[in-house]
Amino acid sequence: MSSRKKILLKVIILGDSGVGKTSLMNQYVNKKFSASYKATIGADFLTKEVLVDDRLVTMQLWDTAGQERFQSLGVAFYRGADCCVLVYDVNNAKSFDTLDSWRDEFLIQASPMDPESFPFVVLGNKVDVGEDKRVISSKRAQAFCQAKGGIPYFETSAKEAVNVEQAFEVIARNALAQEESQDFNPDFPETIPINIGESNQGCSC
Amino acid sequence: MASPLPPDEDATRGPPSPASPTASFYDMSDDEEGDYSTIRHSKSGKGVKLLYAKSKVYVHPTPSAKDNIAGYIALMQQKPAANSVSSAPTSPSAGSSSGRRSAETSNLLLAWVPEGSLGDAKSIYTKVELSDSASPPKTTYLVPPPPITTTHSSSLGTYAFAVPLSDIFSILVRPPSTGWWFGSIVINTRAGDSFPALFFHDSECQSTIDQRKKLQRESFSISSSEGGGMFWGGDEVLRWMKRYVTVERSSQEPSVYMVDPNDADKLSFGSGGKPTPDHVRNALEGKHKNEPAQQKKKETGGDAVVKALTQARWTFLEKMSQVTTFTRRTAQAVAENKNIPPQVRRLMANPQVQTVSDEFDSARLYLARWAMGIAEQSERERSQRIWSAKDVLEMEDSEVGQFEILDIDAQGLSLADKRQPVTLKEWNGFFNGNTGRLEKTPDEVKERIFHGGLSADDGARKEAWLFLLGVYDWNSTKEERHAKMNSLRDEYIRLKGAWWERMVDEQGTLEEREWWKEQKMRIEKDVHRTDRHIPLFAGEDIPHPDPDSPFAEAGTNVHLEQMKDMLLTYNEYNRDLGYVQGMSDLLAPIYAVEQDDAVAFWGFVGFMERMERNFLRDQSGMRLQLLTLDHLCQLLDPKLYEHLERLDSTNFFFFFRMLLVWFKREFPFEDILRLYEGLWTDYLSSNFHLFIAMAILEKHRNIIIDHLKGFDEVLKYVNELSGTIDLPSTIVRAESLYRRFQKTVEAIDRKSNFPAAPIVRQRLPQPPTSPTGTRPGADGRPRQASSGSVDRRRPSSSASASASTSGRERTVGDHVAAGIGAEKERVISPELRALLSRDIPKLEKKEVRERGGGVGS
Ligand SMILES: Nc1nc2c(ncn2[C@@H]2O[C@H](COP(=O)(O)OP(=O)(O)OP(=O)(O)O)[C@@H](O)[C@H]2O)c(=O)[nH]1
Ligand SMILES: [Mg+2]
Repeated sequence: MSSRKKILLKVIILGDSGVGKTSLMNQYVNKKFSASYKATIGADFLTKEVLVDDRLVTMQLWDTAGQERFQSLGVAFYRGADCCVLVYDVNNAKSFDTLDSWRDEFLIQASPMDPESFPFVVLGNKVDVGEDKRVISSKRAQAFCQAKGGIPYFETSAKEAVNVEQAFEVIARNALAQEESQDFNPDFPETIPINIGESNQGCSC
Repeated sequence: MASPLPPDEDATRGPPSPASPTASFYDMSDDEEGDYSTIRHSKSGKGVKLLYAKSKVYVHPTPSAKDNIAGYIALMQQKPAANSVSSAPTSPSAGSSSGRRSAETSNLLLAWVPEGSLGDAKSIYTKVELSDSASPPKTTYLVPPPPITTTHSSSLGTYAFAVPLSDIFSILVRPPSTGWWFGSIVINTRAGDSFPALFFHDSECQSTIDQRKKLQRESFSISSSEGGGMFWGGDEVLRWMKRYVTVERSSQEPSVYMVDPNDADKLSFGSGGKPTPDHVRNALEGKHKNEPAQQKKKETGGDAVVKALTQARWTFLEKMSQVTTFTRRTAQAVAENKNIPPQVRRLMANPQVQTVSDEFDSARLYLARWAMGIAEQSERERSQRIWSAKDVLEMEDSEVGQFEILDIDAQGLSLADKRQPVTLKEWNGFFNGNTGRLEKTPDEVKERIFHGGLSADDGARKEAWLFLLGVYDWNSTKEERHAKMNSLRDEYIRLKGAWWERMVDEQGTLEEREWWKEQKMRIEKDVHRTDRHIPLFAGEDIPHPDPDSPFAEAGTNVHLEQMKDMLLTYNEYNRDLGYVQGMSDLLAPIYAVEQDDAVAFWGFVGFMERMERNFLRDQSGMRLQLLTLDHLCQLLDPKLYEHLERLDSTNFFFFFRMLLVWFKREFPFEDILRLYEGLWTDYLSSNFHLFIAMAILEKHRNIIIDHLKGFDEVLKYVNELSGTIDLPSTIVRAESLYRRFQKTVEAIDRKSNFPAAPIVRQRLPQPPTSPTGTRPGADGRPRQASSGSVDRRRPSSSASASASTSGRERTVGDHVAAGIGAEKERVISPELRALLSRDIPKLEKKEVRERGGGVGS
C-alpha cells in the first residue's frame, strides 16, 4: 500500500465565460457555492485527493478565464493534461455552440499523443434554472457528445450540487486511465528523466 | 499506517428504512430529574437523558452517496434500575472494569438515530449538540428513548441502534484521511457483533466545526489540552466515553480502542505500554492525542512541537484541496533553511515528520507558507512603527542585490511626514482661492499624493482623482473645469443614448448585433460578480429591469445598474476594443469614489487610456509587461531569476492577474484606492506598477527559492498571496527598487563607451529629485538636470508609447538585461529603459483598431 506511487491527474476545465467553471470546481472541491465568485483572471487551480478504485490520486483542476483572448497566454497549462472538461450553460446557446472550438483549441494546444482517444467530459451546467429558460435540450447535447466519439455527458448544477460529484468521479476515472495508458508508452517523452537543477554543461562524450 | 478498515460498502446491510421512535415530543425539564425512563426495564417512561449528541453522522448503506442516511450519534443516560447508583463521571485513569462500574455503564447508551426519525425532539438534540461539550449539560434534556439494540441484525431491521456502554467491547476508529475519506467508527459488542460503520461528515457538522475552530485558536499553545491535533467527530465520541469508562488504545492494533478492557482482553489485544516512537507516530498520524502526562514532562518543548505538527498536519490535510505540488520531495530543504525558526527546523529534521511530508506532498508548500507567516509575525512585532528611511536602508542591506545603499532620505521632510495623506483642506490649499488654478507645480502635488495618498473620508479623492485621471487639466481654472464637466455630462448622455438606441432598434449587421448582445451579457455577468462584498455593491433591493437576465430572479441594486450603464457606454465609446473582462474591476473603485455615473465614466475613460494595452485581443500589451518584468527580475535579482528559469516560470505568467487589473484582486478595496492614486501620479515611472510587482516578488523571494520547485507551485503560492500583502511597506519597497534600478542603469551606462548616448536618445525623463540628490555625485558624471518643476504630464508624441508596446516581436535573448554571471556584460533592454519614462504608454487609435477585437466604429 505504501509502495504505490503517487498519481497526479491534471484536469483542464474549459468553456465560455460565465458558464460556471469556477463554481463547479469549488462545489466539487470545497462543497460550496457562492454567488460572488469573481470572474477568473489568469489561471488558478484547486487540488483534491480522491480514491479511484481504491487508488489514491491527486486531481489538479485547472481553471482559466473564459474570454477567448485570455486563452492565448494560458495555454502552457494545457500540456500534460489527463482529461479535459468542457462546460456549457444549458440556458445559453452560444456557450454550447463554442464547445467544438474549445475542444479543437485544446487538442491543438495540448497536442496529446493520441487525440482520438483523449478523454473529454462535457458538462451542461445550471440545470437548476427554470425549464423555460433552457435552450439546449439533453438530447441535443447527447447527440453532440455521441458524434464526438462518445464523450461522457452530465447535466449539473454547481449551485445546487446536482451531479457534480458523479461527474468528477468519471472525470477522475477517465483521467486515471489516460495517465496510466501514457505510463505504459515507452515513447512518451516525459518518462525520460530530465536532470533539472544541474546545469547542462556539454556532454562528456 | 492504520490497517485498512472495511470499505464503505461493508456498511451495506439490512433494509434501508429508518425507524421512528415511539414517542414524538418530549420537552426538556429541570425538575423531573428522577422521572426519566429506564428503557431497558420499562418502555413506558418519559424519556432518556441526552448527555451528548453530534449531528451529521451518516450510515452509508450503499456506495451511492444519495443513499446516505444522516443521523445523530448520542450518549444517553437512562434511569438506573432500582438500587443501582446513579452514574457519575469517572476519571479515565480510575482503574479498569469492575462489577460496580459495569452496572453503571449499563445505564449509559451509545446510540445512533436517524435525523429523519427525530421529529420534534430534533431541537433538543441540536441544543445538546451545540452546548459546551466540555461537560455534560447541567440542564436535563429528555428525548424519546431509542430502541435498545445489542446486535446489529436486530428484528427492527434498521440502522438505528442504542447499545449500553457495558456491552461495547471495542471501537474501531478510522480518522478522516483525505478529502475523500470521512472518518468513521465501527462499534463491536461483547457478543461479537458489529454495528454498521458510522461516517462523520465533519464539514457539515456544526459542533465539529465549532470545536475545530476552538482548537485552531488554541493551536501552538503549550498547555496540554485534549485534542490538540487533528480533530474530528470521532474524537468527541471517544472523549464522551472516557468520562464514564476506560478507553484504551490497543498497542497491537492502533485503530482499535478497547472499552473497559479486563486483563484477558489486554493480553489478547495488548493495550500495554506506550513506547515513545508510537507516541510520536500516533501523534503524526493524528490518531491519538491524549497521551499521559509523563510524556510531556520529558520534553515540554518537544511536546508542543509535536502538537503543533499534528495541528499543522491536520490543517494541511484540510488545505490539501487548495495547495499542491506533484513531485515527491522531502522536507530537507525546509529543515536546512536558516530562515526558518529553529524549533520548526528541528521539527522538520525529525524522520517521522519527513515521512509525513513525503506522504503528503503539499506539506512543504504548507510549511513554507507557515514559516513565512512566522517570520512576518516576528518582523511585525519587532517594529510596530511607521516605515522610516531606516527600514528602507535595512532593506537595501538585504540579499536583493549587490548595489550600493542609497540615501533616499536627506530631504526636508522626513519620510514619515511625507506619508501623511493629503486632506481636502490641504488639497484646496493647493489652489488659488479666486481662480481655482493650481498654485503648485503638478509634480509637487503628485509627489505628495505618491507618498502620502489622499485622505479617505473627506472627499479629497473625489476632486483629486479627476486630475490624476486626466479629466481635468492641472492648469485649468475652476470655471474651465465646470464647463468641461458640463460638456462631458452631455457627451455621456449622448453615448448612453447611442447604445440604448442600438439595442432597441437592433441596428447594424447581424454580426454587430450578435457582438452587442454578447457584450451586454458579458457585462451583466461580470458586474454581478464584481466587488459584491463592498457595501455599495452588496445586496439586491430592486427588481431586475430585464426579465430575461439570468439575474432576474436574484434582483439587482441601483449601483450595479449604474455599473452596467457605464460599461455599456464605454463599449459604445471605444468600439474598437469594447468591454473586456477585468474592466469592471477597474471601474468599481472610480465609481465608488465619485458616486456619479457621468463623472466616474470619464474618470474610467482616462484610466482606460493607459490600460487599453492590457485588453487587446492579441494580448501584446500584457506580453510586453510580463517580458519587462522578466528583464527587471534578471537585472535586480539574478539569483531568483535563475531559480524561476529552472522552474520554467520566467514567462512570469503568475503575475498576469496582478498586472491585468493592477493588483485589484490582491489588496482590500481601501488599499486599492490608495495604490491606484499613487500609480496614477506617474511620479517615478509610468510603469511603477511593475515595481510594485517586483516588490511583492522580492518579499517572497527566499521562500520561492528555498521551497517552490514547480511552475504550478509558484502560481499557487503567488495567487494565494491575495489578501496577505501589506500595502504601505510594499510601496516603500517598490520605490526603493525603483531607485536601485535607476542607479543600476546609470552605472551601466557609465561603464559603456557612450555614456550619455542612450539617455539622450531616450529623452530619459528624470523624476523630480530633491536638491540634495538621491544619487551620489562623486563619480564626476554630470547629473541629469532635475526636472522637478517641469510638467511632463502628457506626452506630445507617441514615440515612447509605441516603443513600449511593440516589444512583442523581440525575444528575450536579443538584448537581455543580463545580470547572471559577472562575466556577461549588462545591457539595458529597451523594455527596461522605458521604465524610466514617466510618459503614460498610450496606444494609437490605429493599434486599437487592429488589435482591439471589437467591432470598430
Ligand atoms: N443558477 C446557477 N448559476 C450558476 C451555476 N454555476 C454558476 N452560476 C453563476 O454563473 C455565473 C458565472 O459563474 P462562474 O463560476 O464564475 O463562471 P466561470 O465559467 O468560471 O466564468 P469565467 O471565470 O468568467 O470564465 C455566476 O454568477 C454564478 O453564480 C449554477 O449551477 N446554477
Ligand atoms: Mg471562472
